[in-house]
Amino acid sequence: MPDLDSSTLLVLVPALPLLGALLTVALGRLLGPRAHWPAILSIAAAALAAVTLLVGLGREVFSVEKDAHGTITTGSLEEVQTLWQWASIPDAYTPPPGSAAVDVGDDLAAKADGRPATLPFSIGIDLRLDPLTAVMLAVITCVGLLVAIYSIGYMHDDPGYPRFFALVAAFVFSMSMLVTASNFLLVYVFWEAVGACSYLLIGFWFRKPAAAAAAKKAFLVNRVGDFGLAVAVFLLWMTYGTLNFHDTTLADGSPLPGILGMERLNDPSGYVAGAVGTAICLLLLLAACGKSAQLPLHVWLPDAMEGPTPASALIHAATMVTAGVYLVARCAPLYMACPAALTVVSVVGATTALVAALIGTVQNDLKRVLAYSTISQLGYMFASLGTGTLLGFTAAIFHLVTHAFFKALLFLGAGSVMHAMGGVIDMRRFGGLRRVMPITAATFLIGSLALAGVAPFAGFFSKDEILAALHSRGWPDAHAEHHDAPHGSHAILPTPAEMPMRLVSLRAADAPASSGAAGSAGTFRILYGMSLFTAFLTAFYTFRAVFMTFTGPTRVPDEAGHHHHGQAGSAAHESPTVMTIPLMILAVAATVSGWWLFSTHSLADFLAATPSLAARSVAATATPHAFHLDLALQGTFAAVAGIVLAAVGHLGRRSDGPQMERFLGPLGTLFGQKFFLDEIYAAVVVKPLEFLALVAAWFDRFAVDGLVDGMGRLPLGLGAVLRRLQSGLVQRYAVAGAIGTLLVVLALAWQLRT
Amino acid sequence: MTPSPLVLNGLVVGAMLFALGLVGILARRNLIVMFLSAELMLQGVSVSLVSWSRHHADWGGHVLVIFVLTVAACEAAVALVFVLQAFARTGRLDAAAWQSLRESVLPRVVDRELPASDAATLVFPRLTPAGVEPEHDPDAALEREHV
Amino acid sequence: MTPDGGLSSTGSLLAVAVGCAAASLWLLLPRGEGGLRERASRRFGMLLGAVALALFVATGRRLGGVGEEAVFLIVALVAVIGGAATVVTRSPVYSAIWFALALAGVAGVLLVLGAQFLGVATIVVYAGAILVMFLFVLMLAQPTGMASYDRVSNEPLLSAVAGAVLLGLLTLFIGRLSAGPGECCAVPSRAAALAGGTPPTPIAPEPPADSAGRDPLADNHVARLGGELFGRHLLAVEAAGVLLLVALIGSIASVSRTPPDEGPDAAAWRAGA
Repeated sequence: MPDLDSSTLLVLVPALPLLGALLTVALGRLLGPRAHWPAILSIAAAALAAVTLLVGLGREVFSVEKDAHGTITTGSLEEVQTLWQWASIPDAYTPPPGSAAVDVGDDLAAKADGRPATLPFSIGIDLRLDPLTAVMLAVITCVGLLVAIYSIGYMHDDPGYPRFFALVAAFVFSMSMLVTASNFLLVYVFWEAVGACSYLLIGFWFRKPAAAAAAKKAFLVNRVGDFGLAVAVFLLWMTYGTLNFHDTTLADGSPLPGILGMERLNDPSGYVAGAVGTAICLLLLLAACGKSAQLPLHVWLPDAMEGPTPASALIHAATMVTAGVYLVARCAPLYMACPAALTVVSVVGATTALVAALIGTVQNDLKRVLAYSTISQLGYMFASLGTGTLLGFTAAIFHLVTHAFFKALLFLGAGSVMHAMGGVIDMRRFGGLRRVMPITAATFLIGSLALAGVAPFAGFFSKDEILAALHSRGWPDAHAEHHDAPHGSHAILPTPAEMPMRLVSLRAADAPASSGAAGSAGTFRILYGMSLFTAFLTAFYTFRAVFMTFTGPTRVPDEAGHHHHGQAGSAAHESPTVMTIPLMILAVAATVSGWWLFSTHSLADFLAATPSLAARSVAATATPHAFHLDLALQGTFAAVAGIVLAAVGHLGRRSDGPQMERFLGPLGTLFGQKFFLDEIYAAVVVKPLEFLALVAAWFDRFAVDGLVDGMGRLPLGLGAVLRRLQSGLVQRYAVAGAIGTLLVVLALAWQLRT
Repeated sequence: MTPSPLVLNGLVVGAMLFALGLVGILARRNLIVMFLSAELMLQGVSVSLVSWSRHHADWGGHVLVIFVLTVAACEAAVALVFVLQAFARTGRLDAAAWQSLRESVLPRVVDRELPASDAATLVFPRLTPAGVEPEHDPDAALEREHV
Repeated sequence: MTPDGGLSSTGSLLAVAVGCAAASLWLLLPRGEGGLRERASRRFGMLLGAVALALFVATGRRLGGVGEEAVFLIVALVAVIGGAATVVTRSPVYSAIWFALALAGVAGVLLVLGAQFLGVATIVVYAGAILVMFLFVLMLAQPTGMASYDRVSNEPLLSAVAGAVLLGLLTLFIGRLSAGPGECCAVPSRAAALAGGTPPTPIAPEPPADSAGRDPLADNHVARLGGELFGRHLLAVEAAGVLLLVALIGSIASVSRTPPDEGPDAAAWRAGA
């Protein structure tokens, strides 16, 4: 699109959905059943703009690459645009001597002499464009568009129809601003904004007590994470003296290195390690755990399924929950300075993946199966991020993209089933639906294969990369050898010829880090095992759901007849075209995206040009692209084993059988009760707080209110006494007045006595 | 220069009249008597003014007393109308008959039961038509305490 | 012109006078008693009142000549006794007549003070016009028999004390005026200012007051008062005329034709009456 330059497009991507949301709010009642048009059109335009940006940036990245191998200067890949200055306080912060805000590193020490002693607090509405942002924008807007189109059918006779589309458009706006923002404060603002949209969408049917409670739970649990982000932002400000990602210049012309700016990225000692650095990283991880539903803050996501299914697909599967992944990936250089924090990220991720998968195996609610699978897959992404290698970071984003496609597909498929079943989502109440709704069944199967990680589908490739990343940390020597003798490698960046030398030199430079890495190898071996087992569980619960829903004798619940078409009897039917088309598009994406992105390595190379991931510390961990046949075989074996086990249990049987209960026994209870986490939270957090609230309420009612009421009763009591004086006899008043006057005169005479 | 003794004594007389008028205003409940008391206070002020006028050798006090007389006449005219209105409404000349200003929860103040007055019923002299001998009770005419 | 003893003796004398006056007024004021008791308290009240008057006379300044002093004393006593009787008499008709006597006393005081015109005017205007109007009203409004509100006073003790204390305070302050030159409370006399020092803005050429207490305003009194009134105060005189007219119209207009029993509290009044 030659007419529009990338900066205009960058503004358009968030601005259009905002416009759509405002239009829907303003005209929603007027448009009535056509209220989806502003949202659909604006998101479609935003999606077009985002894809254009992605393609344009991709061309740029790969053309730069051709010019100079491996010497990409990140400056060419970052484009920051300040729309307007939001806050500006001169001389807001005086960094202590030796602070990272001033003393950026060896090569900057010289410049630091001329730096001003105080730093301004200046926050602009900064939009940035780099590969990571472009990928996220494309995913957000494309999935958002498909979900919005699907919602036309799904929400068609809902009384809150305009409200839904206004919220979806507002969500797309907030989310695209979140990934576009180029300073931490803006990130925080839109972090909260997506939280607010999520709250409103979960509680969309707010008259339903469960939905209202779920929305409240999501909001409150997210608050814990947001608290982490807020404190992290404060710490970042105190540590680095700025909140900008990018480099800026001060009013006097001296440079101020941004937290993720070129100066710092190119500086090996640009980031603060130690307690402060680790604290920042862990607080950011807390934030990410809240938004991305990782242990221990995952409890809100399954409950969030009370919202409309498209909202579940959009927010709680494809986009919003990936905000945490985005944040950690964006802050990769910060994490690289703190290996301990990285390990924590991995441990949290892998544990979450395993626990969520275990719970998922016994869920009977189709949407809840998918919800736990979402938590589990996000856990994979975190495990991958925590490896602290370029491969790990890119694999996490890779999985994020493929997961967005196939999880949106699965959610929309589940929504289609729910739509046809008249709102029933309990898998034990229906079965054999492949004969009733073939398109949904086929697309759902494709999505399940992708999720389970079966060979040609998207999930296989991304999960394989994650396993490879974990494996490389668990068995570093094997990988080093592996890469020293490259075979079957499709490396583009950097060239195989240069790579070993760079690796060696960097290993020498980062000796302490690598020794720490060697120490954590055992940890990563365990994590690898957990992930492999999780892959097996994933395949099992996914196909358990598939077999329970689509195979066996055809059964349809009674509620299906009460559908809007008004047909009596077994009116269960395939969903309307407007719902199946997005399913099919997503099915195609879920099929080919993984293979295409993996085989060309375009995504990984593209992402590697992101400033955060091109930082020296991250780039130093780059390895040649390789297809690890052994790891792939392990993964596939796990997936197939899971599918087989699911088939043994559920294929062709009535879905309301007692197989799982008999098979798992007391473990099933444990899984079914979600490891009693809700109960533990209730006992540890909710009950004490309730007790505290009781005490506070008692104190308020009797102590504070008593005081206030007492102050109120004092005049009343005085009045009751003084009221007796108000006899209405004017002469008594005259006597009182005369005596009062005399007293005043007497007092004056006493004062003036000589 | 200290005021001359005459001036000082005049001032004292004025003060006494003023104080007596004040007592009457505060204590007496008959509207007419209250009014007379107010006039008494005005007389006290007048005496004071004239005394000061003499002390200062200035006409201001005299002039002011003339205006006091004027205003007292006006006041009497207007106020007596109101007294009559009040009497027409209540049948009494009682300042305590008007108690609507009291707190709503309080009862009306009612006079305690009075002991029988030893004063005879007030009998005003009455004119008899010409040529008729007036009724009279010589004893009662001699002993009556009230008109 | 006998100077007082110490201020303290004057003060204690005054205090006793005030106490006597208060007690006397309290005893004299109608308190709803009846029979012998009322008569006894009245007599005692009169006695106390006489004592109080004597004390006040004692605190007063002696005048110069015997004739002047006697005249002033008599008219002042008439005025004060008349005033007291106005206040304490049960029957309003007697009150009005006592008030007429008090007016006569006041007129006498004014004459002694050198205000011939005002003395006569007081008699003419008050006793001749206003008081007669009162009596008319009384005849219109007074019910037969002794009304309860004439037999009971409102807060007699407090009122009597308040009045007596006020009197004591005023007398104290008046006594301070004569405490001598240099005292804080001494009031500068225009006559004194004319005698010595810088004269204030002369309003009219006045003969200075001589030390014998001759009234500087006595010469050609009424003519000069009239000149003053219709010269310097002409506008105020016109305003007073307008005031009289307005009062006339207002009193006519204020005569309401509302039947008496339509008032808001009519039933209660009737019950109370």
